[in-house]
Formats: sequence, C-alpha cells, structure tokens
Amino acid sequence: MTRRHALRSVLVLALAALAWWAWRSRETDDERAIRARIEALRNEINASTPDGLGTLAHAAQIGSYFTEDVTIELGEGTSAIHTRDTLMGIAARLQPRTAAFRLEVDDVSVDMVPGAPAADVLLTASFVRRSLSTGEESRDAREYSLVCQKEGNTWRIARVTAIDTLR
Amino acid sequence: MSLTRRIIFGPDPRRTLVRVVVLAVVSFLTFGWVLIPVRAEGISMLPTFESGSLHLVSRVAYSYSKPSRGDVIAIKLAGPHVLYVKRIIAMPGERVAFIKGQVYVNGAPLLEPYVRNRRLWDVPEVTLTAREYYVVGDNRGMRAADHDFGRVDVSRIVGKLLF
Repeated sequence: MTRRHALRSVLVLALAALAWWAWRSRETDDERAIRARIEALRNEINASTPDGLGTLAHAAQIGSYFTEDVTIELGEGTSAIHTRDTLMGIAARLQPRTAAFRLEVDDVSVDMVPGAPAADVLLTASFVRRSLSTGEESRDAREYSLVCQKEGNTWRIARVTAIDTLR
Repeated sequence: MSLTRRIIFGPDPRRTLVRVVVLAVVSFLTFGWVLIPVRAEGISMLPTFESGSLHLVSRVAYSYSKPSRGDVIAIKLAGPHVLYVKRIIAMPGERVAFIKGQVYVNGAPLLEPYVRNRRLWDVPEVTLTAREYYVVGDNRGMRAADHDFGRVDVSRIVGKLLF
C-alpha cells in the first residue's frame, strides 16, 4: 500500500466515523424540544432562589414544567408526589435547602411514543453539593425515567420514576 | 516558509495533516470504545480511591473473560457519562448477606483486605440470578443508608477499572 493509499484510507475512515456520529445524533423537532425543556428545568432549579413572594413565583415556574396531574415516585422510603400543586408546595418549602445543591443532568435519551404526543425519557440526574468547610463536592447520582406529554405546543413532564440501578 | 508556519505545520504540512488525522481517529476510537477516563467523586470507595482521583475504565476487559470477585467495575446509569464505581463481592447464583458488617457469601465469611472501617451493616440474605453481580463500595465506615450498593444486572457493567 502506497502512502497515498494509506492517507486516503485514513480520511475515508474519519469521514465514515463523522457520518456515523452525525446519523446517530440526528433528532426530530420534538426530541430537541424535550431536551431543551429538561435543560430549562435544570436551569430553573439551579437559579438563585429569592425569598418571600419570589420563592413562590420560583416554585410556580418550576411547576410549569409539569402536567397538572403529575406523579413523582422517588423510590423506596419516600411517598409519591401527586399533582402539580403539591409539587409546587414542596418546591417552595424546600428552596432554602435545595439552594445548597446544584442539579446536573446527563445522558438524556428521548423515545417518542408512536402515534401519540408523548415521549419516554431516560436520564441521569446528579445532585452536587459543595462542602462549606472543605470545598469538596459530593455527588448523588440517580437514574430517572420520565413520561413527557405535549400540551398545545408545550412539552410537560407527566411522570417521574426513580430507577434502582443497584437493587 | 516562515519559522512560525514551519513550527506549526512542520517541514512537510501534508505529513503533519496525516499525523493529526491519524491521532484524532486513534483517540476517537480509543476513548470512545476502549478506555473511558473517569474521575471519582464521593467517598464510597475510600480508602481505595480518593474523591477527585482520576482512573481509566477498560471497556474491553470483559470481552473475553467474565467479571470476577474483587474486580472494581464501572456501572452505567442512564448512559456512560455518569458511572457508579463499585467492587464485586458476589457472583451470579451466589447468596450474599451482611451480618454486623461482615459479608457472608454462601454462608461463609468473605475476606476483604481492602476494607478498613466497618459499621455494623445488616442486610438480609439475597440470592443472585444468573445475570446479577453484587457490588458495594470499599468504604463501610459510612451508614448503609448513605451508600449505594446491591445487585446489578450484567448489562449495566461498562468495564473494569484499570487503576
């Protein structure tokens, strides 16, 4: 094999890998919209939390990412959260505590439900907390399964279920 | 050719381009399919791994052999960007339990030289299926409730920590 051939092979291989990656990365508008909503929810949760009425407004803003009849199951030892109003109440009460955490979301995969304005989402959510004394960060990562529904033009989360990776 | 261009592109720019492309392809393949660099976060693997330490996971370690007891493995959650790092203490089909902090596998105590501190964990005996391993971190000085451990399906094992 001449050097020219070797160069051509390497370039073809690189282009093939790039094309394969691009093909794998392609997604529909709805998938993109769902990812954007989850990203926006993460930013909303991480946003600085004002006191008083601001706290309530912030909780309402967080609630707007969920459907009216949302169900959140965080796993063994916790009771399920039902309805958006309950969620907003909890969000408002917990805000002083959650302000110490940073939420990170990774590995979001979206599967559209055929023939329905709905999607199944799998993701890893990490709650990162920095110790005030040592500055060291600790991370509590969990896998979650979400069911998203499209209401009008807006995607909302209808169900959140924590997955036990280790049982 | 100016000195700057010569330093950046080398005496033969075409050869430099080939080297760059080859290096990029090799790096893409190596770090995409063979090795995953990971940074330990948290204290569940102390004293073996300090929080913040860097490690490499071999994705091909179990291509030709099965995981074995004592291996430190990476376990995927929803994807490969956040992984649990745990040690295998029991193999498929075995029975495992914690009694006052001591691990028992098939009724016999397991020798664990990597464990320094033990709290008196009590976990009822479970029998693993043919697809399950039992994994736990080395830091048993934590409360069991604060420590993620248990059965993991073989499909979640990403690879073995090399160091």
